[in-house]
Amino acid sequence: METPQFQGTHLFDRLCWAKENLEPHQSDYRVVYEDSVDECAKILVPDPNWMACALQGGILPPVQVYWELAKDEAQPDFVKHTRGHLLHNTKPVEAMTEEQALEYLIMKDCPQHVWRDWDSGNKPKLVICRKEQLPATREWRNAWKISEELATDETVAA
Amino acid sequence: MALGKIKADTLEHSTAGSLDTKFVVRGSAKVWLRSTDAAVLTQSFNVSSGTDNNPGNYTYAFTNSFNYSADHGGIGAMAGPDNAYFRKAANNGPAGSLQVRGVTAPGTGGGPAGVDTECSLTIHGDLA
Repeated sequence: METPQFQGTHLFDRLCWAKENLEPHQSDYRVVYEDSVDECAKILVPDPNWMACALQGGILPPVQVYWELAKDEAQPDFVKHTRGHLLHNTKPVEAMTEEQALEYLIMKDCPQHVWRDWDSGNKPKLVICRKEQLPATREWRNAWKISEELATDETVAA
Repeated sequence: MALGKIKADTLEHSTAGSLDTKFVVRGSAKVWLRSTDAAVLTQSFNVSSGTDNNPGNYTYAFTNSFNYSADHGGIGAMAGPDNAYFRKAANNGPAGSLQVRGVTAPGTGGGPAGVDTECSLTIHGDLA
């Protein structure tokens, strides 16, 4: 199905179109990241309807738009967004592969300090894995950490 | 966008009065979701991801952010099944996401404890 020309259309209206016309895609991948050394690992799960939009193309704004909104929110006197138009008027991104969609989602929904220097320590702060690679039960969930055996080299990134 | 449009500022019933359509637009849920106790979304709208932060602590990020952050009263409304309920987490600021907790009902011996739970919620408010 061809995506309508959505630049200038409110993002919410685009999501309504996607909900009506696209099949949700439940990803088998998970993003595991450590926000703080004192906390257990967090597990990010892509939304199936969002993933369908990413794979379809022409719906989602560039991830940089979310960074701009985040900058506004970081201001001490922030009360209300005044640049929401960036979500609606910026040219939507083209269709992504699932891998590209995960990278986009990491840059949108994970803290910047995690993904900007994910490989700066002795082990990665962030890993993409298949859901089967997570512990089978949620026992000891508070103790889940990224394995110390992983190294921050090209093997991990691949 | 090739969609039919009806433009109207007011809906009027023959006997029951009239309603400004801005109440319909602003009063509609802008986010709704259902997720497992591991933040896997099974039903959703306007959500980009669920994050399982730690037991009973979840973050849901939105595709179309809200206008106001949660701290400014822009968003709210949650519900959980069985003996769990949700409340705003402390760091609940961003307009582009909401952090919620599943907790047991407060007992007489102390405050509520975090507990894994499925989640169903709708969120209302003005979008960015």
